[in-house]
Parts: sequence; structure tokens; C-alpha cells
Amino acid sequence: MKTINLTVNGQPVCAEVEPRTHLADFLREQLRLTGTHIGCEHGICGACTVDINGEMSRSCITFAVQCDGADITTIEGFDDDPLMARLREAFTSEHALQCGYCTPGMIIAARDLIRRKGALEPQQIRYEMSGNLCRCTGYAGITAAIGQVMAERDALPLPPAHEACIGPAPGPGAKRTAQNTSNAAADDAGKPDDDSPSTSLSPGAAFETFSEDGLTTLTEHVIVPHDADRVWAFLGDLETVAACLPGARLIQQDGDLIAGEMRVKLGPMTPRFAGEGMIRRDDENRSARIVGHAKDTGSASRARGRIVYALQDTGEGTRIDIEIGYALTGALAQFSRGAIAKDLVGRLTRAFAENLQGAISGNGPAAGGSADGGSDALDAGGLLGAVIWGQIKSIFAAIFGRRN
Amino acid sequence: MKPARFDYMAPSTLSEALGLLESVPGAKVIAGGQSLGPMLNLRLVQPQLIVDISRIPEMSAVEDDGDCTVYGACVTHAAIEDGRAADGTGGVLARVASGIAYRAVRTRGTIGGSLAHADPAADWLSALTALGAEITAADGKQERRIPIEALMTGVFETAIGSAELLTGVRVPKLSANARFGYYKICRKTGEFAEAIGVALQDPERGRYRGVVGATEGSPIVLDDLPSLKAGTEADPGELRERLKGHGMDDPYEIQLHAVALERAIQEALA
Repeated sequence: MKTINLTVNGQPVCAEVEPRTHLADFLREQLRLTGTHIGCEHGICGACTVDINGEMSRSCITFAVQCDGADITTIEGFDDDPLMARLREAFTSEHALQCGYCTPGMIIAARDLIRRKGALEPQQIRYEMSGNLCRCTGYAGITAAIGQVMAERDALPLPPAHEACIGPAPGPGAKRTAQNTSNAAADDAGKPDDDSPSTSLSPGAAFETFSEDGLTTLTEHVIVPHDADRVWAFLGDLETVAACLPGARLIQQDGDLIAGEMRVKLGPMTPRFAGEGMIRRDDENRSARIVGHAKDTGSASRARGRIVYALQDTGEGTRIDIEIGYALTGALAQFSRGAIAKDLVGRLTRAFAENLQGAISGNGPAAGGSADGGSDALDAGGLLGAVIWGQIKSIFAAIFGRRN
Repeated sequence: MKPARFDYMAPSTLSEALGLLESVPGAKVIAGGQSLGPMLNLRLVQPQLIVDISRIPEMSAVEDDGDCTVYGACVTHAAIEDGRAADGTGGVLARVASGIAYRAVRTRGTIGGSLAHADPAADWLSALTALGAEITAADGKQERRIPIEALMTGVFETAIGSAELLTGVRVPKLSANARFGYYKICRKTGEFAEAIGVALQDPERGRYRGVVGATEGSPIVLDDLPSLKAGTEADPGELRERLKGHGMDDPYEIQLHAVALERAIQEALA
């Protein structure tokens, strides 16, 4: 725990907080100031907007411990503020709220906008207010209410300018005390909830139980200078193939069923996906289909994927056509914008193809894999590995970006 | 939606901060926390220690260094937007800052944090690449400068070492006649950009640079753009060919990014 001293709605407050407690929870749970609402809790919706040292900020992505020495104003602290009083009237007369959930954040943002700017067109008001979401009004009433008060701006007493910080408030000048008051938190810090992979094969799993709906797919091919028989035999040894995939590990194989895990490092994120899949090999056509799903317990994210590959003898070597399909849900998907995911999976596929080529030729995987199938997780400059892994591969896929 | 436990330190000197980064592997730096905060809440990141650098005075300093303005890593977007931080670019930085996310994010989000986070869709990465900025970084032993083109090594990955701190950014001043255009394509105002185009025409410095950002990696730099040199509209075919030459192959992505750049060029020349 840390002790912090701050001012909330004009009152000095001294409190003990866990570093991981964000300001909105601190205000609501410890100070019982429940006017600050929590919506998305990751900085998108604006419901938790409060003033910190006179600048509106999101209390769900500001930690209470960062506010040691700060001056906070929540919706409860604006009762006597003349501009806020006028806005309340306008919100009422223009029907700028229905359920009211967004209103504390909305009206604090509206006050801040009028403090900073005047004479905006309705379209500009909408643009400025776009950081606060409302599910009821369609924003028409809100825009009208703000326009109404903005039109009177010159006659209204605007909030006095706060001594503005150039960095995030309260900044270096603030008096602060944040000290460890007990080492309990520190001792526990960094021990994430137990997420060791408990991967094992589900009894009775069947191919059909792995959903292949709604996957984004990509294709890639590689030509290796060996005959198709040799390549096909090589691909039958999953442990060796897994070694072509940095960060991947085959945990268990029982006939067609496989279980494994995969670690990736991407910037500050280090998801570890564990899961299971099934492989079905068609010796006659020298093609295989792998399906699977996996979970990263740390971020509660799930991934599904499919890999289909087929071999073709070209006379001078073997052409391997690879098709990868993937889908990601959960927290990691929040950070997986389409282009990034697509690019990553494309790179994964290419990297895998390269490693495979090296491994078949007896040179070992090119990008950090090791022969025991337990290669290291990727690090910053490394190639993200490849993919034959039922589930996993595709997975993290979605998230991240590219590597050169 | 609550972060996993972490310990928190807010050193008041750079050397203290660097000492913490050196001694605690996996420690994460927080400035405004507007990117790290959501990642912590979603438990995508679970560091043992968070080092808050916003209490270090030089991190929120702005200095005039002749040809450059030097911004400490913790200068917020809002401070630049409001003109509270000196701007040697004739308002270009303020213009870019005013379009970053939302005001409630800009009041805490910082220029250094945005660069260190290395999201390809971030505004500063593309805009400062057009301006030819340099990053300053320090570890316990030395300070160094990194050209911004060499900063990003992958999505969310930079050339900054784990015991090193991005301390600031040096932004070259523009000449009085320089012209600048910036256009980003977003599905929703303030959301991550789908494409960013930046155009800079600065004849006195011989700079005619186009930048295409919000790709899947580092921004693409197109120097000596004929349209910026001649002051005429961009040749749409040429722009698309140059993007292809930089490895873009998806027709939709090429179109989106080429249009963003065309509009930036139009704005610069208008």
C-alpha cells in the first residue's frame, strides 16, 4: 500500500491505496463519491471523466497513486460552479440525457470545452465532444445544450485558469508523500494470478468440435529443394515442426490430438497461449488440416485457428501451399486492428516457411527455434515465428505487428 | 478490468529512475499512462514495477536549442495544443496535437510516451518523421540521439533498451515559408487512424517530404516528392507506385494511404 495526500472537491484527503487502484475506483469505493461513473474502464467512453488540476482526464486510466499531491474535482464538486449550473439547466431544457449514465462525464467535458473554446458550430461541438459516448440521446440534445450555453459564453463567469502543468498533473512541483506503508503489496507485486498452462487433451475431442467459422484467411507458399516424400515425412514429426516456431512448445500428442503452448513478446505484452488442437493428415494427397483453439489466461483472450497445407512435387522440389485462418477474441483483440493482424499472420507464415525450409535441409530452424521443440519466446527484434501449430500460431497473431 | 498487482515508484531524478529500470527487469515506465493504462486494466501487461517519470523536472521541460526545440518526454499533447509549450514549427505541432485522441486523453498523454509506445497509428510518429525529429535517450552510462526513422523496430517495439529511457525529442524548427499538411483517415473521430498522410514543403531547407503513416510498421518516408517541389498536385499513379515500392501490396491499403497523402499535399499547397 502507498499513502497519498490529495485534494478532492476542495477537501484534503489522506488515504492508503494499492498502486493498481485506478482513480475512479478510489473515488467510488474508498471515498464513496459514486457520481463518477465507470463505463468501459479502458479509456474509450468518457463516463469516468473528472478534473485533475483543472484539466479533464479519465479516471479509469489514471491510477490513484499517480495523483499524490493533485487537486481532483468530481461531479460532486461542481455544485457551486456557475458555469456548471448553467449547463445543468441547458441539459434539462434540451433533454440532453435520458438514463444519465454518461452525464457526469459528459457535462464535465462540456464545461471544459466552453472554458477553452467559444463560437463553435454544432458539427465542431460534436467533434470536440467525441470522447464521451452517449447511448440514449443521439447527441442532438447534448449538442444543442452545449451550443445554448456557448452562445452566452461572454456573459458567463468562466472558471479561473488553473496553474497548468506542462506534463501530466500534478507533475514535479506537487507536494507528495507516496510512501510504502507496508511491503505487503510490494511482496505480492508482479506475481500474476496463476496462469500456468494446465493444458491437457480433452477426452473424446473430435475434429468437428473446433469451430472454423468466421476466420480471416491468408495464403502463402514455399518451395523446398527436396522431394515430396521426404518433406511429407518431415512434416509428420510435429515436435520438429514445432521447433520451427519460436516460442512454441508441443506439450502432448496423442494420435491426432495435440496440445501445446506458445509465448510471444510484443512490446510490453507477453501473452502465453495454451490450447489444444487436432491434426488430420491425408497421406494420399499429401495434405493436412490442423484446427485448434487456445487461451491466454493472463489477458483472458482466446484464439481459434486453422492451417491447411498441401504438397506438390514440382520436379525440382516440393511446393508447399499453406492457408492460415485465425480469429481472436478477448482483451488482446482490443489491440488488434485489422491491418496489423493481417500483416503479422502474413509474416508468421513467411517466417515459418523459411524455417521449415532450413529445417528440412538439415540446417535447423532459422529464427531462434531449438531442436527440442521448446524454443525461446520471441523478443524484440526477432522474427515472429511460424505456424504449424494448430491453435496457437494464429492466435497472437491477431495482435501485433510486424517485425523486420 | 482491474490490473494485476504491481509496485509503483515515482522517482524525482533521472538517475533514480534509470537505477530502478536497471535493477528491476521487466519494470515498465509510465508517463501519462494513456496507452499503458488500458493495457494494464486489460491485463495485457503485468509488470512487477511501474516507474512513473512524470515527477522528474527535466522530463517536462521545453528548451530552445537554436535550430531545434527540445521537448521533455513528459510534455503533454494538451500543453502543445494550447501553446503552453514553445513551438518552433509555426503551429504545426499544435495542429497535430489537437487531433490526438480526445481532450481528456491529451491532458495526460505525452509526446515521449506516444513515441516509446510505438503504435504505428500514433500521430507523433508520423508527424515527427516528416519534421525529421531526433529522439534523445539515456541509460546509466550515456545519452544518445536516435533519428526518428530508426526508433521503431516493430509494432510496439523500439530501439530503446530495457534499462534505457526515452528522455525527449528534438524537433527541428521550420523556416517561415515552410508549408505543412496533415490528413488522417479514422473510422471514428479520435480513434486509431487507418491511414495518415503528412506533407512538408520547406524550400529553404531543401525538404520536400511526404510521410505515410498508420501502416503496419514504421512510417514510409517519400523524400523529394515532385509535387511538393513543383507546388503542383500529386500524380496519383506515381504515389501509388512509390507505396508499392515500399512493400505495400493490398490495393485497399494503397488507396487509403495514397489518398491520405494526396489530401495532406493538397492542404500543404493550398
